[in-house]
Amino acid sequence: MRRLIRPALSGLLAAAGGIATAELVASPVRPESSPLVAIGGTVIDATPTPVKEYAVATFGTYDKPLLIGTILAVLALLAAAVGVLAVHHRAAALLAIGALGLVGAAAALTRPMARPIDALPALLAGAVSAGLLAWLAPKAATAPPPPSPVPGTGPATDGAPAGEPAAVPAAAAGDTSRDDRAAARTGRRAFLVAAGLVALGTALAGGLAAIIRRSGAQAADEARAAIALPAPADPGPPPEQTPGFYTPNQDFYRVDIALTVPRVDPRQWTLQITGMVDRPTELTFDDLLKQPLIERDITLNCVSNEVGGPYVGNARWLGVPLAPLLRAAGVQAGADQIVARGADGITIGTPVATVLDGRDAILALGMNGQALPPEHGFPVRMLTPGLYGYVGAAKWITSLELATFSSFDAYWVQRGWAATGPVKTASRIDRPKAFAQLAAGTVPVAGVAWAQHRGISAVEVQVDDAPWQQARLLPVPSTDTWVQWTWDWPAATAGSHTLRVRAVDGTGALQTEQRADPFPNGASGWQSVLVTVA
Amino acid sequence: MYGKRKLTALAAVAAFSLSLALSACGGGNTAATTQPTGMPTGVPTTVPTALPSMPGAAGGEFGPACATIPKDPANPGSLEMMAQQPVATAAAANPQLSTLAAAIQAGELADTLNNAEAVTVFAPTNEAFAKIPKADLDKVLADKELLKKILAYHVVDGKTAPDALAGAHKTLEGQDITVTGSGTEFKVNDTAMIVCGNIQTRNGVVYLVDSVLMPPS
Repeated sequence: MRRLIRPALSGLLAAAGGIATAELVASPVRPESSPLVAIGGTVIDATPTPVKEYAVATFGTYDKPLLIGTILAVLALLAAAVGVLAVHHRAAALLAIGALGLVGAAAALTRPMARPIDALPALLAGAVSAGLLAWLAPKAATAPPPPSPVPGTGPATDGAPAGEPAAVPAAAAGDTSRDDRAAARTGRRAFLVAAGLVALGTALAGGLAAIIRRSGAQAADEARAAIALPAPADPGPPPEQTPGFYTPNQDFYRVDIALTVPRVDPRQWTLQITGMVDRPTELTFDDLLKQPLIERDITLNCVSNEVGGPYVGNARWLGVPLAPLLRAAGVQAGADQIVARGADGITIGTPVATVLDGRDAILALGMNGQALPPEHGFPVRMLTPGLYGYVGAAKWITSLELATFSSFDAYWVQRGWAATGPVKTASRIDRPKAFAQLAAGTVPVAGVAWAQHRGISAVEVQVDDAPWQQARLLPVPSTDTWVQWTWDWPAATAGSHTLRVRAVDGTGALQTEQRADPFPNGASGWQSVLVTVA
Repeated sequence: MYGKRKLTALAAVAAFSLSLALSACGGGNTAATTQPTGMPTGVPTTVPTALPSMPGAAGGEFGPACATIPKDPANPGSLEMMAQQPVATAAAANPQLSTLAAAIQAGELADTLNNAEAVTVFAPTNEAFAKIPKADLDKVLADKELLKKILAYHVVDGKTAPDALAGAHKTLEGQDITVTGSGTEFKVNDTAMIVCGNIQTRNGVVYLVDSVLMPPS
């Protein structure tokens, strides 16, 4: 076993040196081209959904560090094995390292936003690892096994396993043992010095990469903190005063595919408008700030929200109207889909007609009076009132490509979700809570209802099988937000009761009673709540 | 000895440099780990989940009937999938609980269970319902008020872990149930065996029981 320690260690050190080099090269320019991040992303995409969900359920927010840790552990095992392989098969070991480098390069090149240059860090990692191993392996191999406790036995028979045959010349018996031990000590020293140097270099490179990364993220955070959002050219109405109308940023639901929250420096950020346009356009963050901004209250909800579920929120957004930007770029005939790409690798496909129909589709820069929080897409996200987020609200947006629905399926569409996702009319009872134990008498019942861009014209509540009752609707600034409603349940009597809610949208259409699961285009059905009155 | 200690030190250096490489990769994203993260999903029958509160780890379940739960993590009735879904949706996906799911639907309790903050559900299996004569069962299923009362008698507020299971628990119906036993052997009201316990769902913990519990009054 002991004979394997040094070769294994050389393999480990060579790999660590290579990976640290790759991190050092990737960090300042393209952090996403790091082979570890690229492989991690590839593993996530290739992992079956239930396993992913299990990982999130089991490890919570540690799922991603754990993934990277597992990749490192597997790499470490492979590296140790390659180190051992190098003892007798140097060329095969170097080839194996080359192959690992190519795997990393392939992972980096096949990421959604990959550029050819992204292969570089992984290839460099392979080259550096191979070089280090070629240097370390002979030193690891020359050292003979530890001296035998009985002088004159062991060493002569099982001397140098490989490598430089000259290191242990077949000498006459007698003095051999002492010479061997001296040679062994020299060999060991040479290995330790070399290994120490590699470890030191690795630590320095890794440390430097970490510092660069952190300062990169810090720069993005500082740039975000320094942003003074301009006043809107078209301000929103006075903010609604009812508690709960606006969802605080930190409570706003988050559903995305980001492995780590992208930290985008707005000074380096640009937005490309490409594809089927007459004038491909590139806009900087400052370009957007100079546009006339509009301020709007818009409710956003997730297609995966169940009946009565929590993935819906309302905020006051500040943004650039998208339609004028598209018209300036010149949308070509036949383009019916806008493919938005985000820094996390997402693609989201929105109908061109929807964005151009006069609604307040925006590139949002501000949320509830602040620059967008990193979790919600800083520096810029898209919002399309009336569409579920998965077809209208890309975060960390980097490009808008005009395309057709027949030529491209966006991320969720590839996974079976509907290509178009207008929100379904929905209503929710927030008070009383499920299984609430209530005192007899008048019980306040309250909640929200939403049908963005169509609006809500009525909400009705039913207790058990009594006739439906009209709820009172609180004022709203537009049809793009949810509506808060209240209804006093008079003289609630002892026993268990079921409360039901349904809404009528702005077109007069009654919310469907028909139950549907969230997949593939949103849940439907009237929500009910069982309560007990004492 | 000298060499061994040196090697140990070297190994430590190597481990340290590896951990640096790790932090280099995750560096600067510390805030991300404090945020609920959404997960991409690849199977059409599943949903993107945001998991504002992380459910407990699957894997603490116990009891003979756990063996009949689908093993394929892609199966909606598997422990892995149930852990992701709100409790009524999770139960509806479990083949052992299809009668209960039908009863929950008939009693219009799915939304309430799904949107409850945290509950413990003593879930009668299909075999448990099969013990009730069909005429009686049909009568209960047709009487919505009685059905709701019986179902609510199987639900306790809050998530009850196995080590807190023994004792009396006030049900959402209002009357108590009494759990006796310890370790992995429990009985409810002296009549119903817990045949698979501690199944996690997004907002509730489920104990499968082999008899339907009847409210005393």
